[in-house]
Amino acid sequence: MMKPDMSALETHFGAPAGEDCGLLFDVDDSSMPAMEFPNCPNFDRFQAKTKDMVKNKRGTTTLAFIFDRGVIVAADSRASMGGYISSQTVRKIIEINPYMLGTMAGGAADCQFWHRNLGTKCRLHELANKRRISVTGASKLLANILYSYRGMGLSIGTMIAGWDEKGPGLYYVDSEGARLKGNRFSVGSGSLYAYGILDEGYRFKMSIEEAGELARRAIYHATFRDGASGGCVSVYHVGPDGWTKLSGDDVGELHFQYYPVQKTPVEQEMVDASPSTA
Amino acid sequence: MSIFEYNGSAVVAMVGKNCFAIASDRRLGVQLQTIGTDFQRVFKIHDKLYIGLSGLATDAQTLYQRLVFRHKLYQLREERDMKPETFASLVSALLYEKRFGPYFCQPVIAGLGENDEPFICTMDCIGAKELAKDFVVSGTASESLYGACESMYKPDMGPEELFETISQALRASVDRDCLSGWGGYVLVVTPTEVRESVIKGRMD
Repeated sequence: MMKPDMSALETHFGAPAGEDCGLLFDVDDSSMPAMEFPNCPNFDRFQAKTKDMVKNKRGTTTLAFIFDRGVIVAADSRASMGGYISSQTVRKIIEINPYMLGTMAGGAADCQFWHRNLGTKCRLHELANKRRISVTGASKLLANILYSYRGMGLSIGTMIAGWDEKGPGLYYVDSEGARLKGNRFSVGSGSLYAYGILDEGYRFKMSIEEAGELARRAIYHATFRDGASGGCVSVYHVGPDGWTKLSGDDVGELHFQYYPVQKTPVEQEMVDASPSTA
Repeated sequence: MSIFEYNGSAVVAMVGKNCFAIASDRRLGVQLQTIGTDFQRVFKIHDKLYIGLSGLATDAQTLYQRLVFRHKLYQLREERDMKPETFASLVSALLYEKRFGPYFCQPVIAGLGENDEPFICTMDCIGAKELAKDFVVSGTASESLYGACESMYKPDMGPEELFETISQALRASVDRDCLSGWGGYVLVVTPTEVRESVIKGRMD
C-alpha cells in the first residue's frame, strides 16, 4: 500500500534560534513560493522593523457588496506615504481572472504580488480540475497563504468578489488570517465614512445603475472626509458573465457635480462713482 | 505624525510689483479626518499687514489673538499702525518667550512697509526670522510649495498675474498633500485695494 503524502503537514517556517537564516525551504517545493529570508544577525528585529514600515499604510477606501444582480466593487485611487501623496492613479481593483476581482488595501507590493499569485493558482486549479474555481475556494487559498505568513509584517486587507456556480460570492481576507463571508464590506482608513453612505442607501433589489451610483457616492464621501483617500473612483460590476467596469470618475469633479457652487450674495462691492452731470 | 501635522495646513506669500499676495488652504482636520473646509488661517493685523499661521490650529488662533492685542496697544500708544518689519520682530520675540514650551505654529508675515514696499518673512516655531525677496512658504505642504513657487515665480508681477501664480502654486502643492487643501483662500494687497478670493480646489 502506498504511503499517504504527508508533505503538506511539514512546517517550513520558524527556524530554531542559532541556525543560519538563509534559504529556509526547498526551491522545488511547489506549494509555497520560495522566498529567501535575509541573512541578518537579528531576524526578530528585522521583522519588527518591516512591520513598522508598512504599519500605517492602509490609507485607502475600498468597498464591495452583493445585491440581486451580482457584486459591486469600488475603490479610490490614492497612495499616500504618511502625509505625502505618492500617487493619485493607483489601480486598487485587481483583476484576478475574468470573473473574479480582488481589492487592494494595505501594502501595495503585498497586495499586487499575492493577488497575481492567487490568479496563477486559480488558473492551475482550472487546468487540473477542468472547472473554474469557486470564490470560496479562491479566498480559502489566499487566506491559508496569508495565515502562514502571519506575524511577518505583510499588510493586506482584501476582498475577493466573484460569480461562481453558486451565484455571487464575497469574502474579506486579511493578513492577520481573517476570512469572512458577507454581503457588505468596506476596507481602509476611509471605510467608516463609506459605511455611513453604503448602509443608508443599500437595498438588496437594485438596478445595476443604482448600485453603481451608491458605490460611487460612498467612495466619494470617504475621499472627502478621509485625507488618505482620493483621486478617482472606480466602480466594477461582477455578473454571471464576468466583471465589467461601470465607471471611473475623478473625485475633484464629482464633488462639484454633487454639490454645485452656490453663488453667495456679495457683502460689500466696490461700485464706480456715477459720472456727475454738471 | 508630529504635532505640526495634527491639523494640516499650507500657507504661502509672494511679492509682486508694489503688491503682495498671501494665500492659505481651508482645511481643518484631526489627523486624517477632515472636520471643516472653511477654516481661516490668514488674519488681518491692519489694512496693510497680514499674518498667516500654519501648524497647530489652536496655537494659531491663540497667537493671533495675542498679536492683535499687542498691536492695538501699540496703536493707542504710538497713534499709528505698526510697520511690517517691527511686527515681525514682535512676533519673533513673542515666540522666543516660549522657547521651552513653544507655540506649534510657523507664521508667514506679509505687509506693505514704508513707501508701500512689499515685505514678507517667515519664522520657525521659536522665532527665527527668515526674510525673502520673492516668496515664503510654511505648513505640511511646504516642500511641495517650495518646488511649485520656485518654478512658477517671476519678479515684478502685477496683481492679476500674482493672483494667478499664487493660486496655481497653492493648488498644485496641496494636491500632493493628504493633510491640506479642500479649497484655497487668496488675498492680494496693493496700496489702494485689497482683493480676497476663495479658490475652488479638489475636495479630496
